[in-house]
Amino acid sequence: MMDVNQLGGWTVILLLVLFYGGTFVVTLGIGKKKENADGYMTAGNKIGFGISAASMTATWIWASSMYASATSGYTYGISGPIHYGLWGALMILFIYPFGRRIRQVAPKAHTLAEVMHARHGRASQLMLAGSNVVGSLISITSNFIAGGALISLLSPFSFQQGILMVAGGTLLYSLWSGFRASVLTDMAQVVAMLGAVVVIIPVVFFAAGGPDIFTAGAAGLSPQQASFFSSDAFLNQGAPYIAAVLAYAIGNQTIAQRLFAVREDLIRKTFVTATVGYGATIIGVGMLGVLALYAGIQPLGGDVNNLIPQMASTFLGPVLLCLFLIMVIGALSSTADADLCALSSIMMADVYGQNLAKRGQARPKTMLLIGRITMIVATAAGLYFASGRMNILDLLVFVGALWGCLVFPVIASFYWEKITNRAFVTSVVAALAVFLPVRFGWFPVDGAWGYVVDVMSVVGVGVVAGLMAFGFFGLRTAVIAGAAAALATAPFGFGFLHDYAVLSGSLTAYAVSTVLCYLMSFRSSERFDFELIKERIGDFDRGTRPVTDQREAAVR
Amino acid sequence: MSAFFLTCYVLVWPAVVLCILAVICRAFYQEWRQARREGRSIV
Repeated sequence: MMDVNQLGGWTVILLLVLFYGGTFVVTLGIGKKKENADGYMTAGNKIGFGISAASMTATWIWASSMYASATSGYTYGISGPIHYGLWGALMILFIYPFGRRIRQVAPKAHTLAEVMHARHGRASQLMLAGSNVVGSLISITSNFIAGGALISLLSPFSFQQGILMVAGGTLLYSLWSGFRASVLTDMAQVVAMLGAVVVIIPVVFFAAGGPDIFTAGAAGLSPQQASFFSSDAFLNQGAPYIAAVLAYAIGNQTIAQRLFAVREDLIRKTFVTATVGYGATIIGVGMLGVLALYAGIQPLGGDVNNLIPQMASTFLGPVLLCLFLIMVIGALSSTADADLCALSSIMMADVYGQNLAKRGQARPKTMLLIGRITMIVATAAGLYFASGRMNILDLLVFVGALWGCLVFPVIASFYWEKITNRAFVTSVVAALAVFLPVRFGWFPVDGAWGYVVDVMSVVGVGVVAGLMAFGFFGLRTAVIAGAAAALATAPFGFGFLHDYAVLSGSLTAYAVSTVLCYLMSFRSSERFDFELIKERIGDFDRGTRPVTDQREAAVR
Repeated sequence: MSAFFLTCYVLVWPAVVLCILAVICRAFYQEWRQARREGRSIV
């Protein structure tokens, strides 16, 4: 087993104090004695391009994505990081047309679930909000675990001490100013992260042997690992990820929150920059896994999650190792603070603002208090789950599937006036009910059930392709693209797709929710007026909060 | 696959990241200056 170079305890403390202390000082500059509830959730919907692009990039990059990309490079070879990073990046691009539509329909919204309440009602809202809460808690836990593991590997501190440092530091700068603090500190964190990537990858590459490593290590690779067109990498990593991240992008409140915060005319520019920034960073970090593969390095303790810290501590000197630590701490803190803000917004707007407070009488002061208490409780919950190193993989798969079930009903709700609350809820629940046995293999797939799964998966491929095309090119092109993708997949998909449980599970979720939602809606007499959403959602602080609610309250 | 090609493949990503970092920093600086001129907070 390889020895790992560690940093001294005081060095790590100094780095964390500099990082979190510096971040906290930055937030003092924007602190207000009387914080505003809308500012706390969306910064007034007018953030500029620089900060919003930095924030979108920093939020989308989390520690786990760096680790996963390197793992993909190590497992699947040279195409591995592409099949992780490229698809994740393209998803940011693919959701931006939907983002523009969402902002057009609901310019003053704070959460996507809030818009679902205005569009459909409570059941749809709570379904989306509930999945957001679970997803953000998982993300916080995962980031704390990554921080604890990194600190315990690179310093004399224990895992428990590591998660306490990360959790305390993140809460410190997020608590008072909420989302405004999150986006501003994302700027500093993105500079640290991207700057570290620019320096660390070339240094590790040349320290590991430079171009010669590809000649010396080529014999250790399988033909699939040495190929840019590896079917193993696509089917096991790329394809399930394409399906999963589309759901993640739509279902994740951290992305929606930034969508509602950026100035409307800057949405495209922001999303395109974040696409390239995320893709290059994550694929770049994935190269560490590829280099480890060529160098014949065995992961410490057999755990591939140790690959990145192991490569850094093996090939970097003390100064660059400090930079590496800041890079990963920056990645996990920027995502954790975004999740804290997402959770607080959901509790403020969806739970209190629309369900607990009397209609039209939500008090901004109470909302702020709820937001801050939520952050503290969420941090404590994240610490509790992380301290037991809870296996969050199954939960993550479950939430990913729930988001997969929600994608079509949510997107269609912004364009198609016929969708009802009943169609929304029924299709999501039914899709989830079909997803579970497929994903977890409750029934054998070698008989008729396997063919049913294949049919649903082929339809799912069509749905994913159609949704991607729809955002950019409209309905006609989407139908053609969806049908073409399904037809192209069908000949080799039958008798084959059911063997890939992760992929077929996600595709089934898309297929069932889409087909059922369509069938329950296309003959519906509902004609929803989208202008109503603007009337129903406004600012909490300036008295424009649900105009219709205020009107109704005045009448009462 | 040639070592030269693979070297380019590894090193192109940090180069792209550097470009994006420059774009973001430049935009941030302009926004910060404008906010200062107008006497308001940047967020």
